[in-house]
Amino acid sequence: MSSLLIKGGHVIDPANKFDAVADIFVENGKIKKIANNISDKADETIDAKGLTVTPGLIDLQVHLREPGREDKETLKTGSWAALAGGITSVVAMPNLNPVADNQSIIEFIVNRSKELDLINIYPAGATTRGQHGKMISEMNELKNAGAIAVTDDGVDVQDENILRRALEYAKTCDILLMSHCETDTLTDGGVMHEGWVSTQLGLSGTPAVSEDLAVTKNIMLANLSGARLHLLHNSSIGAMEAIRQSKKLKQTNITAEVSVQHFSLTDEECFGYNTNAKMYPPLRSEDHVAAVVKAIKDGVIDCFTTDHAPHIEPDKLEPFQHAAFGSTGLETSFAVANTYLVEKKHVDLKTIISKMTIEPAKIIRVNKGSLSVGADADIALFDMKKEWIVDPRDSLSKGKNCVFANKKLHGKCVQTIVGGKLKYANGQIIHK
Amino acid sequence: MSQAIEQGLIEARAGRDLSCFDLYSIDQLSLADIDLIYDLARLFRKAKTEKLSLNKGCSLVHAFFENSTRTLASFDLSAKNLSMDTSSVSGNSSVKKGESFLDTAQTLDSYNLKAITIRSAEAGVAEMLSRHVRASVINAGDGWHEHPTQALLDGLTMLDHSKSKTLQGKTICFVGDIVHSRVFGSLVRLLKKLKATIRVAGPLTLMPAYVEKFGVTVYTNVEEALAGADIVYALRVQEERGANGFIPTLREYSKMFGISRKRLDLAAKDAILMHPGPVRRDVDVHSALVSVDEQSQILQQVENGMAVRKAVLWLLCNRMDNKVKEMTRL
Repeated sequence: MSSLLIKGGHVIDPANKFDAVADIFVENGKIKKIANNISDKADETIDAKGLTVTPGLIDLQVHLREPGREDKETLKTGSWAALAGGITSVVAMPNLNPVADNQSIIEFIVNRSKELDLINIYPAGATTRGQHGKMISEMNELKNAGAIAVTDDGVDVQDENILRRALEYAKTCDILLMSHCETDTLTDGGVMHEGWVSTQLGLSGTPAVSEDLAVTKNIMLANLSGARLHLLHNSSIGAMEAIRQSKKLKQTNITAEVSVQHFSLTDEECFGYNTNAKMYPPLRSEDHVAAVVKAIKDGVIDCFTTDHAPHIEPDKLEPFQHAAFGSTGLETSFAVANTYLVEKKHVDLKTIISKMTIEPAKIIRVNKGSLSVGADADIALFDMKKEWIVDPRDSLSKGKNCVFANKKLHGKCVQTIVGGKLKYANGQIIHK
Repeated sequence: MSQAIEQGLIEARAGRDLSCFDLYSIDQLSLADIDLIYDLARLFRKAKTEKLSLNKGCSLVHAFFENSTRTLASFDLSAKNLSMDTSSVSGNSSVKKGESFLDTAQTLDSYNLKAITIRSAEAGVAEMLSRHVRASVINAGDGWHEHPTQALLDGLTMLDHSKSKTLQGKTICFVGDIVHSRVFGSLVRLLKKLKATIRVAGPLTLMPAYVEKFGVTVYTNVEEALAGADIVYALRVQEERGANGFIPTLREYSKMFGISRKRLDLAAKDAILMHPGPVRRDVDVHSALVSVDEQSQILQQVENGMAVRKAVLWLLCNRMDNKVKEMTRL
């Protein structure tokens, strides 16, 4: 029997339409009670006065690099970074070494994350063997080993017929298929968004149509079988239009996310050959960013992710053309959503919390993302008044390649609770 | 003789300095900077190959991570005319051993260099490295991005032809592979500063995205583009930069866009023909027009290259204000 009392915080739980100052009583890892002035005796009491209390955040797209590239990140350091951002559950992407296309790797991740006892890590398996886009993987084995979804994130399945079969097979196994939407032949070696900025920098661009076409193709193929398809990190005007149309037609098997950098930053971040701004999908021009924000406002986008992609320093010290793709983001995603969406009055705080808690939980069908009585006590506490400047040197992630470096953000996670246990408080990981 | 030339140069410089410590982009230069470079370049041109001691005691390394003929020779002879000690590294060697551009540049910088010329197949290398070395970095061409000294020498050729301080009222027509051309990247920036009217002509497959935002007019019909132009600037189809696949054949390209006698006659009567080299005779430009035709300035461009590079080397290696560049080691 262990208990925890969180007193006097402003509790926002979109799943239960709860938005008021209240106390939360946690017992044996579950939410026991939410009410005013709870007087039950608890082993530990947290004073949450002045803080915003939410369900622990859920991030559907995170690269934890283990096994294979433990120099970039490990399940442990990635979990630390997640905790520092108020994130209590993540989907770990399968582009590992070896690729997570077999049950051994999935079991390793499941077991290692249990052993670490830090956050909930849900591994995703590969859609195709070796992520080569040729033969579909043993999805049922992957699912039974603990994979929450299959995806060839990072490369995508290019061949339409193989993608069609993968979707049909995923439906057979009742597993979610996540697509990184990119048309290789149109990307053609592009290293940033094709536009006025790429022209000024003399860098080869990836046209937005590379994403548009892949998103449209994925939706059409998923609808042939009715497979559950989740569209990863959408960023273009065309992608927004395709998703809007799908929502209009009530295609409930299709869900779509936006990574927070794609509603907050433009391709102008690439000026000065800033390799931290190199990622796929690329940061796009202002018209695309405006379309993404509009889609979020219109409720077309289901959830927000980070696409946290840590790298070692030398990989980002290369010329822009050769530098690695990706930015870290676990510690900044909530603050970015608050700063760029809530403070700019595009949507309210409840909406961003919903898209970072209950909505992603529904997509991967886990009983998380709410503060319902009886639910797992995964909880994050934020100081919404805190203004801070992102300094990657302070990051708990091994990767210091954060595109938000030196940006001023508002709102910071101060405490994170997973399964009823305080795991992070004021910059420190709490060890057992 | 050389003392008198040096005295004349010092007087012409009149204590002036560039507003930048490196030269990786034309964007860094103010109009005053451009005037200063041209005031000095015209005097250097007059001095021909006279050995001057203006940069005596200054060392320079050419870090050419990509091959070059004319740019390397031009920079090196210019530096030697100014009494500089020079050395060349073809980046292939250390970079092939796994050393990064950054570490190569920081190592070279430790030889107490005054300047490093950098050429790379990738865009942005000179700009990136300039932040981490004490020496002044001069971009000798970075990928498809810029080649500032080439633009400066072409600008001098154009201004001399126009006999004025700006190119206001003059129409320059670029023909060819725009997207892969770093010469265009620098020239378009310079020519806008000099108030020129700019046209570009070529197949749309060789046009950069939003090229019109540079303030240029795009033509797919070369005859229309050439009509009445004061300066015709042909750009080479850069097969080594991946222009293959953008056009069906060089044969068709030459027929559609090659500069022939007939096409050149569509330009203004006293128009000049320019090309940054290397020229592909009978593809970019009809062979008879390359070096002997009186309208061709292609060899004059090369001579101006030495003069402009001497001016830039003197200005960057010897500052009158003794200001020191800021940089951080990584």
